[in-house]
Amino acid sequence: MKSRGAATLLAPAVIALTIFVVLPLLWVVRTSFNETVDGAYMVSAFTFDNYTRFLGSSWYLINTLWFSIRVAIVTTLISVLLGYPVALYIAQTRGLQRSILVTMVLSPLLIGLVTLVYGWIVIFRGGGLLNSLMIALQVYDEPVRYMWDLKGVIILLVYIGMPYIVLSLLDSIERLNPSFVEAARNVGANRWTAFWRITFPLTLPGLYAGLVIVFTLNFSAFAVPLMVGANDTQMIGLVIYREALLNNDLPFASSLSVIMIAANATILMGMAFVFGKLILNRLEVKR
Amino acid sequence: MRTPFMRSPDVGTLALRLFTYVAMAFLFFPIVITLMVSVNPREFILPPTGFTLEWFHAAWTSDTFVRAMGVSLSLGLTASVIANTLAFLAVLAMVRYDFKGKAFINLLIMSPLLIPTTIFSLALYVFFARLGFGAGIPALIIGHSIHVLPFAVRILTASMQNFDTSLEEAARNVGAGPLRTMVSITLPVIKTGLVSSFVLCFVLSWNDFPISVFLAPPGWTPLPVELFSYIKFQYDAVGAALASSLILISAVAMVVIDRMAGLRRVMQR
Repeated sequence: MKSRGAATLLAPAVIALTIFVVLPLLWVVRTSFNETVDGAYMVSAFTFDNYTRFLGSSWYLINTLWFSIRVAIVTTLISVLLGYPVALYIAQTRGLQRSILVTMVLSPLLIGLVTLVYGWIVIFRGGGLLNSLMIALQVYDEPVRYMWDLKGVIILLVYIGMPYIVLSLLDSIERLNPSFVEAARNVGANRWTAFWRITFPLTLPGLYAGLVIVFTLNFSAFAVPLMVGANDTQMIGLVIYREALLNNDLPFASSLSVIMIAANATILMGMAFVFGKLILNRLEVKR
Repeated sequence: MRTPFMRSPDVGTLALRLFTYVAMAFLFFPIVITLMVSVNPREFILPPTGFTLEWFHAAWTSDTFVRAMGVSLSLGLTASVIANTLAFLAVLAMVRYDFKGKAFINLLIMSPLLIPTTIFSLALYVFFARLGFGAGIPALIIGHSIHVLPFAVRILTASMQNFDTSLEEAARNVGAGPLRTMVSITLPVIKTGLVSSFVLCFVLSWNDFPISVFLAPPGWTPLPVELFSYIKFQYDAVGAALASSLILISAVAMVVIDRMAGLRRVMQR
């Protein structure tokens, strides 16, 4: 009787998610083996052509898959470098200052991407603020191309990734017992040593959580390269978007999605392995 | 709370503070710039030399944009209603009942958050194409509802967990039926949770670009997609006014959510 009540309540959400999340994902896998014939929309088949078309082409492998991995790694690392000190500082604040800082960090997540991109374009475009300023200060004399270029993609991805890093780190810094650091300082460790031996290792789990989120987001990004990218920023998410919506090649787009998820999972597993080792090493008591 | 790794404000703390402020400037710069351009009488010449609502007027009287606002508004409201209804029922079951496979159900409910949006949008696109509908209003509404569902579940779970069930028992004891109890006890008690969940779902849908660009049918374009196609072809302060309208609505929503549910807890992945 009791569990029937739960089942009735859960039914709408579970049915909706099964039909509109689980089934479509399975359908993507199935579609990736279909054939596209010129003129016809798509033909039901069982072929690996879509996979070999991507995996067999060194152009795709280098300019799309490997390129996306590199961009995702670089942008994730920059987000960490920028986000870590911010999280450390926010953890020390309280009251109004703290809630203002947290709200500011989170605002890019709630303000839409297009809106943010608009602001960045004002700053970074050819005759934009940054170029005018740099030329006025005589740092360089020709406008630098930031937007519609790899630089723009990196700036934007760092921008929308950083809030997640700060949030995950803030969580684990707050969980940190401050008396550990006190103790280290009391036995004579300087601030730097205390940070590397105590704070940093204990925040590795939070760092890991942030890295997983941001790497996955950036690796699969398509809106950012679509809005501010160029011909040479063919990230895999963008290629999926283009093949599906512009070329109407659903089987190829589907196989790219499967490849993307597989690559992402592999990299995350590698990261889990490295972090597992790192955490164990760092936490070991070294006399 | 004691400072985690520093004792009193010294060089290290000051450096950290400076760094944070620079990073905040980085985060806030595009937002401030957009707002400034949108009220500046001389297009794109900064700093602003005056104040004008001319660009806002142009944006809000443009047929294309008014239409897109209507689309975004109805899309956001519909998606929030659907997501919150599903979430409310599911959360009721998750909080009040113990059953086998709870962890699995929880994973299923949170799954839209774990799947990259690119994949989720493509999957719905391919699925609806297969069903013969293609991108269309139903696909778009479903995409948005599912996308915001985990956020609704998270907020509602938090407010249901604090719920004192003896209130409901008291109502039942004095003869109220299940529906009456729900309407006059349960819903009013979790009102703040419901409101902030609704606002969050709405604002996420209102600002969404990736799902809409995959699933919006021609002729029913939400505002962010419309803004994107606008700035692709022309670049003027009307675009800034439109972007600022989106920012202002998001800002109001952020204040409401922060007051009622705590922004940080809500946005954590």
